[in-house]
Amino acid sequence: MEKKSSMGRQKIPMSKIPKKNRLQVTFSKRRAGVFKKASELSTLCGVDIALIVFSPANKAFSFGHPNVDSIIDRFLVRNPPPEPCTHRLVEAHRNANIRELNMKLTQVLQQLEIEKKHGEVLSEIRKASRAQRWWEAPVNELGLHELQQLKVAMEELKKTVEKQANKILMGSFETQSPSLGENNINRLESKPVDEVNPAANSNVLPFYNWGYGHCQELL
Amino acid sequence: MTRKKVKLAYIPNDSARKATFKKRKKGLMKKVSELSTLCGIEACAIIFSPYDAQPEIWPSPMGVQRVLSQFKKMPEMEQSKKMVNQDSFLRQRIAKANEQLKRQRKDNREKEITQVMFQGLTAGKVLQGLNMLDLNDLGWIVDQNLKEISKRIVMLSKGGGSSSSATTVQYSSSQEETTAPVSASQGEKCSGFEQMGMEAMQKQQWFVDLMNPQDNNMGGFGGEEVMFPFGDGGSTHSSLWSNPFYP
Repeated sequence: MEKKSSMGRQKIPMSKIPKKNRLQVTFSKRRAGVFKKASELSTLCGVDIALIVFSPANKAFSFGHPNVDSIIDRFLVRNPPPEPCTHRLVEAHRNANIRELNMKLTQVLQQLEIEKKHGEVLSEIRKASRAQRWWEAPVNELGLHELQQLKVAMEELKKTVEKQANKILMGSFETQSPSLGENNINRLESKPVDEVNPAANSNVLPFYNWGYGHCQELL
Repeated sequence: MTRKKVKLAYIPNDSARKATFKKRKKGLMKKVSELSTLCGIEACAIIFSPYDAQPEIWPSPMGVQRVLSQFKKMPEMEQSKKMVNQDSFLRQRIAKANEQLKRQRKDNREKEITQVMFQGLTAGKVLQGLNMLDLNDLGWIVDQNLKEISKRIVMLSKGGGSSSSATTVQYSSSQEETTAPVSASQGEKCSGFEQMGMEAMQKQQWFVDLMNPQDNNMGGFGGEEVMFPFGDGGSTHSSLWSNPFYP
């Protein structure tokens, strides 16, 4: 699928980048990429690896599994050190830890993918609505008269929102003792607040017209 | 290049693992080489594998020695400042991914609430299912929008109101025709409060009608547009303002 937001993959000449800015940016990105590849190689194939890279500003970036120094020593000495039993235990622990981290990373990346796709869907919906309803267009594209009408409608909506909010607050108070206490606050939040995912605290989704005919209840 | 997404875990199958190693090792060396060339920097790679007694290296034994001695010459702190192992590297990646996730969720939430806002303009009932958190966010978004609208109105008013098209002239005249008779007939029967409510309803009603798909010259603004705020007309939002005087 072609993304129009960027030019896509372009072939670049394999020689030193002339512009300093682009060079620095390229370094940052590619360094991160190469470290990622090294990490994956190490995980997938169970190999020990060390990467050392000097930045344009002469800072040393290094990646190593199990660690950079031991690999350097092993390379320089050229004699594989005999492994006592304790080493193996340590290594087993280390690998188990890395396994878990990889799983966690995979999980987060998957969630990120889902949210990104969700974002695209939302953008598509917005685009489709905009074509049909003039008031959804960006404010900059509206004429003076349209803006005035929209303003009135928005102000009405604001009142409605406030009214609804008050209704909820009053509703909870009526069923409680008149004093404001911890009880009332707990009433309002019947389920534990999910801090990581705001959408989980919301009731928006059931009433949301996805435009695909999912929930036509209200429109 | 790959058709299947590879799971980020040790490959149990021996031959598959060896094949992957060969490919990825080659690819990794190529990437290191490109990095070195493109950015004009020194680098080296050392890989110990069960498949070879000797480590696989880049660029060359001499090249590796050169980089290693350059590295070892640096003060300890400089060496370790940007040094990572699998554990720290993965933690960094997880943290970054979490940040992106948080940001993406926030963006999505804003998009959703904005959609609810637009729906709320024509169907007030949408608000009934929302909880406090939603209403809070919704109120905020509405405010933000109002600010932008007001700003733009001021800007356009200053620049001379020439931006209105021919259609808007018809909007205002139709508005007068249709709201006047209704308020006149019902004005005597209801209290001030109800009247306010009805005017709000009427505003919503003509707004809804304006939003109905009609072509620009508003030719459809004929007899069918007589306002019935509490009438059916397919409008679901009237129940929000249900009024005992006019069932």
